[in-house]
Amino acid sequence: MTDMEFENQLRAIASGMEYPRTPDISGSVMPRLRLSTQPRFFSRKLAWSLTIVLIIISSLAFIPPVRAAIIEFIQIGVVRIFPRSVEPTPEAIRTATPQATPPLIAIPDSSLIPLLKNIAGETTLIDAMETVPYSILLPAHPSDLGQPDYVFVQNADGYMTFLVWMDPKQSDKVKMSLHIIPSESWAISKFGPKVIEETQVNGQKAIWAVGPYPLKLSNGDIDVTRLIQGNVLIWAEGNITYRLETDLSLDEAIKVAESLEPVP
Amino acid sequence: MDESILIRRTANGDATALEPLMLAHQDAVFRLAYLLLGDPDDAEDIAQETFLRAWKYFKRFDATRPLRPWLLSITSNLASNKRRSAGRYVSALMRAFQNEPASDTVEEKNVQRTESNALWKAVQTLSLANQQIVYLRYFLDLSVSETAEVLNIAEGTVKSRLSRALDQLRKVIKQDFPVLSEGLE
Repeated sequence: MTDMEFENQLRAIASGMEYPRTPDISGSVMPRLRLSTQPRFFSRKLAWSLTIVLIIISSLAFIPPVRAAIIEFIQIGVVRIFPRSVEPTPEAIRTATPQATPPLIAIPDSSLIPLLKNIAGETTLIDAMETVPYSILLPAHPSDLGQPDYVFVQNADGYMTFLVWMDPKQSDKVKMSLHIIPSESWAISKFGPKVIEETQVNGQKAIWAVGPYPLKLSNGDIDVTRLIQGNVLIWAEGNITYRLETDLSLDEAIKVAESLEPVP
Repeated sequence: MDESILIRRTANGDATALEPLMLAHQDAVFRLAYLLLGDPDDAEDIAQETFLRAWKYFKRFDATRPLRPWLLSITSNLASNKRRSAGRYVSALMRAFQNEPASDTVEEKNVQRTESNALWKAVQTLSLANQQIVYLRYFLDLSVSETAEVLNIAEGTVKSRLSRALDQLRKVIKQDFPVLSEGLE
């Protein structure tokens, strides 16, 4: 039997599945909705922050080079990257081919654990999965990676999940971190990475950024802390943007990105 | 009324617009929860919770996208979490299918129902990720792109994961489900 015949047979058998009668879901949910408070149309925090961002952008736009930089950013999901060069040279953005990774600037080990302790929203993987309204996917590559050592969930007008894996050989060194950012979250901006390469994850456009650069989230209440000063792979799948910090090569980082799967 | 209009009204806080959306999608939501959990009461809880979560996050939903995959994504996530916290239940399910002999009398009465239940039990032996993808594609008849939206993965990943899941399913059916293997060999 061919694969297609097997699939057709499966579908035919599955169509005969007898389900219990669907209960009156809407009849149970509607009274609960009436008891709940009405959702906010537009949060005050969002309004204030947008106003400030607009004022800053408007005033910067009077300066010609800055205006050019504002227009020429790269966006992957909710992440915006402003290249270092105001007028990008052909080399500034190029299609990536797997290659040796430039040497990284490591955060001193002694500063790392306090950094982790200062990140808001530490939780467990199970609790995170119950909190966020999307599936938390974990990398299956490398095969010995396992579950993250630290899990954080931060509400940036949308629950952002932050997973951290420590280096088993150096317990105070981060091996890899992964931000999972839903589309409704605040945009993250990166300013002037030294190298930006366009690449692909699962056939979709992705960005590989190398080199230290300022990083900020447009909502000042939330910190996106860099734990590895070096390489970041950014890609989007559906409504979710992923941001992988790692000292792996681009080739390996893509393997990690393409290995994401639901928690076993 | 056009679904996108109802979505926009719901996103603007109009609870009355949510009701027809629930009526349109509650069967699929309930059935996916039932397939994943195997218990109608648990499935009802998850279905209710799905719509309450959707209500909470509706204002952030992109009204240009299809609604059903997004709802099923919430359902799948909630049901998967419930399964993880109810490991004993899953073990009981596994024991049930191992101990239950194929019933000829039931088969005589309704071959198709027996086959469907056997298929469900065969799928339950797969990993949770593979179960999800099989349920979405073959039991709920979602397209590859809709399945990709539900699971937040690329369409290519859906195809490769599905291929692996079907390989596993073929082996399980051949080994443990003779009632199915005749029709599927």
